[in-house]
Amino acid sequence: MDAMRKERRSTTYVLSLLFSSVALLFLVSMLALLVAQSVPVWQQEGVGYLTGLRWFFRTHEFGAMPMIYGTLVVSGLAVLFAAPLGIGTAIFISEAVPPRMSAAIKVIIELLAGIPSVVYGLLGVLYLRTWVYDSLTPFDPISGDTLLTGGILLAVMILPTIITLTEDGLREVIGTQRAAARGLGLNRAETIVAVVLPQARTAIVAAVLLALGRALGETTAVFLVIGRQDNQWPANLFSVRPVIEAGQTITSKLGGSEVTIAYGDPMHWAAIVGLGLFLFGMSLLATVTAIRFGQRRDRDA
Amino acid sequence: MKFLIALVSMSLVWVACEGATLKINGSTTVNLPAAEAAELLRAQRKLDIQIDTNGGSSGGISALGDGLVQIAMISKELTDADRAKYPKVHFRTAKIGEDAVALIVSKDVWDGGVRSLSKQQLKDVYEGRVKNWVELGGPKQRIVFFNKEPGRGTWEVFAHWLYGDSKKAPQRSFPEVGGNEETRNKVRSTRGAMSQLSASWADGVTVFALAIKTDSGEEIAPTAANILNRKYPMSRPLYLVTDGEPTAESKIFVDFVLSPRGQALVSKHGYLTLEQLGNH
Repeated sequence: MDAMRKERRSTTYVLSLLFSSVALLFLVSMLALLVAQSVPVWQQEGVGYLTGLRWFFRTHEFGAMPMIYGTLVVSGLAVLFAAPLGIGTAIFISEAVPPRMSAAIKVIIELLAGIPSVVYGLLGVLYLRTWVYDSLTPFDPISGDTLLTGGILLAVMILPTIITLTEDGLREVIGTQRAAARGLGLNRAETIVAVVLPQARTAIVAAVLLALGRALGETTAVFLVIGRQDNQWPANLFSVRPVIEAGQTITSKLGGSEVTIAYGDPMHWAAIVGLGLFLFGMSLLATVTAIRFGQRRDRDA
Repeated sequence: MKFLIALVSMSLVWVACEGATLKINGSTTVNLPAAEAAELLRAQRKLDIQIDTNGGSSGGISALGDGLVQIAMISKELTDADRAKYPKVHFRTAKIGEDAVALIVSKDVWDGGVRSLSKQQLKDVYEGRVKNWVELGGPKQRIVFFNKEPGRGTWEVFAHWLYGDSKKAPQRSFPEVGGNEETRNKVRSTRGAMSQLSASWADGVTVFALAIKTDSGEEIAPTAANILNRKYPMSRPLYLVTDGEPTAESKIFVDFVLSPRGQALVSKHGYLTLEQLGNH
């Protein structure tokens, strides 16, 4: 009996070691491939590849800045819209409703997370574009395809991530702490603001960062509502106007037809792969920071 | 262990199925009759056909070049540049019909009185010198130009006509559109919108095809008659492309589209059939 258990454990051990090293191998070889294939564009453009404002593949000009800008604006808007709503929902689920109801709400939210992004994209094309276009009429937008449309759509898509992870963090706050706060005479709202939220702070930041990581990499839905206009660079970085103009994100460029054209032209291909590398780096940064925050929470606790 | 064996045998079955699947990719224009032909062949000949429109004509060519599909659908001429990209592939084209590229506008522009554009006017719009429909005899409304993505057959035909060679077209950054459905949808839902689109997709209800005004002032609309007699300049061939002579499932498919029943589908979607083209 004992021997069998031992044997089983060792098989499990070997298998998990095998599969995790396969995962690691994938990650490392993917990174190596992206770096190797993007070498020509770094050689030609240098840092200008990231800071350049002009992307014209027929004349081999590759400046990715407008796409980086588009990606950051769209993801930033998404987090701006989704974070307050998501954190509020999480507080509601974990603190305000009876357990059975909160379980039901959680199931619905997790269903929301399972909807394929192309469905969100099509809903965006059908309804959100039109709604944004009509609502913005006083500002004379060029069409319903704007960075704002992409941001709103992404906000809906990352909501489940923020809600679920924040809610987990709130639940980890120990019940005796809540009881103690109530015992000191704090009412429910005061308990949440003064005791629960501060203790769950790192979990909430981690939730938002993981959601940001997802927003950065989302392709299909953004592709359909962003307008895919190259070289959109605002005259004034802090003006709001570009938000209601069409734009391009790194993912919408990578999802477009330029990829099939780039194939067979080493420089153009390198420029496309370089975008992938940069995107990979950005999501990695967001995810790793989120995990680091999560670890700090464990240490604090 | 049993699990592993099951996994391996499942993947083998999967690979075996893959082998018998006829895969097709390319132009959304050619896709209309091709998808319907595929539907009929699936039902009648029990063929396993998978048909996609990723990346339009250039997407079809690259998928065929990489051996991912057996048939590419393209709605432009196959160029030397396309062939040069895949030197090992023996591209064989089978022409299945013809279509025209129309310049389409939204309802407000059409109702505002814009019915035709000259080549020069079109260049002015494309190069950004003309920005409002007023300057073209239309309503006071900003021109919103949705450009077909690079690599789309529609864009290639448009640029080739306007600038003699698509490589000579100036570099412009417009909001871009991909497939025909997306193009029509975005032009329909935007005031002052204009784009390039397969003429048979311009329904005349939500989006409207402009005529081309010649130097002598004649307005030539993209009608079947004008495409047939070559008066309308932006006509284009529709092809099914294979690597070498089509064999097995590919041959069944190509032969079907070329048969009277397949040609009826080409005609049904508003394209010109080989018979129409041959009789002229």
